[in-house]
Amino acid sequence: MSELFPQQVGRYAEQAGSKLTTTHKNENVIEVTQEKLKEFLGHLVNDLSTRHLMTITGLDLGQNIQIIYNFSHERDTVHVKTNVPKTKPVALSIIDIVPGAILYEMEVHDMLGVYFTGNPWMDRKLLLPDEWPSDLPAPLLKTSRADEIRKRLDLGVAKQ
Amino acid sequence: MSAQPEKPPRREESAGLMEYSTESLVPFGPIHPALKEPEYFKLVLEGERIVEVIPRVGYVHRGLEKASESRPWIQNMYMFERTCGICSFVHSVCYAQAVEGLTMFQVPARARFLRTIILEMERIHSHLLWVGLMGHWAGFDTLFMWVWNDREVVLDLVEAISGNRVHKSMNTLCGVRKDMPENMEDRIIERMKYLTDRARYYRDVIDTEETMLARTEDIGRVTADTAEKLCAVGPMARYVGMRRDVRLNDPYAAYDEVPFDIVTRNEGDVHALLRLRLDELVVSANIVSYAVKHLPDGPIRIKIPPTIPAGEHSSHCEAPRGEIFYFAKSAGGRTPERVKSRQPTLANIPTALEMLKGQTLADVPIVLTAIDPCFGCMDRMSFFDIDSNKKWTWSGEQLRQYGINKYFPERAKRQLHGQKFSSAGLGFKEKF
Repeated sequence: MSELFPQQVGRYAEQAGSKLTTTHKNENVIEVTQEKLKEFLGHLVNDLSTRHLMTITGLDLGQNIQIIYNFSHERDTVHVKTNVPKTKPVALSIIDIVPGAILYEMEVHDMLGVYFTGNPWMDRKLLLPDEWPSDLPAPLLKTSRADEIRKRLDLGVAKQ
Repeated sequence: MSAQPEKPPRREESAGLMEYSTESLVPFGPIHPALKEPEYFKLVLEGERIVEVIPRVGYVHRGLEKASESRPWIQNMYMFERTCGICSFVHSVCYAQAVEGLTMFQVPARARFLRTIILEMERIHSHLLWVGLMGHWAGFDTLFMWVWNDREVVLDLVEAISGNRVHKSMNTLCGVRKDMPENMEDRIIERMKYLTDRARYYRDVIDTEETMLARTEDIGRVTADTAEKLCAVGPMARYVGMRRDVRLNDPYAAYDEVPFDIVTRNEGDVHALLRLRLDELVVSANIVSYAVKHLPDGPIRIKIPPTIPAGEHSSHCEAPRGEIFYFAKSAGGRTPERVKSRQPTLANIPTALEMLKGQTLADVPIVLTAIDPCFGCMDRMSFFDIDSNKKWTWSGEQLRQYGINKYFPERAKRQLHGQKFSSAGLGFKEKF
């Protein structure tokens, strides 16, 4: 079963124009484009019953922001990667496929500024304070520095 | 123009629906800094029933992921251990496993067994803490006193092995820092036997004691399908019959060398959660006894260089509250490129919201304690009635009393009678 599973995932990955690489033991990585993402995840969740989404990880790669969907299936971990450009950080929400993704998408939105179209709670904050200035860059980007954020937030408090 | 009616009809816009329905908004929380994980739930009530819950977390978000990018690999491990004040060791184990996967070093067998022993002791201590709190919020304080007394037993053992009660700081990359003291084996096995007997006794208590049955049975229901769709983890997944436990599905540390089976239940209410956690205590005690008896000889750690090879690796572990997940990305330097951590409470909040829907306000403390995220937020809540613009505030103690009075009116009367002589009850607090 556990040897069969990466092969099955690999077959669906080829349909989506990608390739499965096993980086470490039981760590399967697939990189798909935004257009093919939902189709691939539909196969993964419904046909291969990989229904447990552990979390969504956001990474700052310089030009792009990488979103990794970390799925777990028995002993195997499936990391589905997709990139969005930093100039237009908009991704498709997957809550119609995995309803449990709603808070993870909010977290990536808060921390890296990626907007997920289709998520009804995108206008709310999950982790950042409500008074977070809208012109301040997202905190987990490599360009934003902790001391600058602290300075800005303290100023906001002083004004009040 | 016709003359204006003397009295305008009440709530014209909702006349077609329920004329006398009042929808109230109850902000629940957010914070009591003395307790773990403050959260804020905005409850929309239709009469006494909850129809909608809006969560708001992040009050204690300290930016650990950002901070980890400027600290050495080994230092980060002790920082991530401070994520939680109850299940601290499992965080350092999970982070260490994510980093160890990037290196080519194997953890020695003795270190893996020692990690398993501490992890299971931590689970016992966390579950006992939770059972005590459930007793407190249900109005059965005797259980709270008993259980927290037994919790000291396991905390003493943890202190004897690691030197600390809460933040063990015992882990290191590719090993552990402290070895098991000599002549501990018999003492641990004897204490585990005592805890097993106590757990079985508590199980009989919650099955027969009317206070616990009235407060927990048939409350906080979700279906297995909902829990699976919302990616529930840990006891929240197992109490509806899902066999989701990382210790079994993807064994780490020494769990593939220790015989054990996980516990699942099918009822899917708060009482099932109590039974489940008490049964898990017995399983954990057996794992500790077995691991202590079969502790292999050999080194407890390997020294590794401070730079970690470039790559990406992830790890997940079963904390007392459910699965935790760590993802580490290295660029080959002394500090990480990115570390991502996800805690079980965040994964369980969508399921918790489903549990709360349809419950009464009196059940909110017990349901929110049952999911084990936060009891701090219950310490102060304010009520706002949209219709009458009336505002009032209840403390956590008053809300607890409200729940008890609703279920046991005759006990409330008794308490009211005794109020003149004791400090318990609502009246005393309001007066002073």
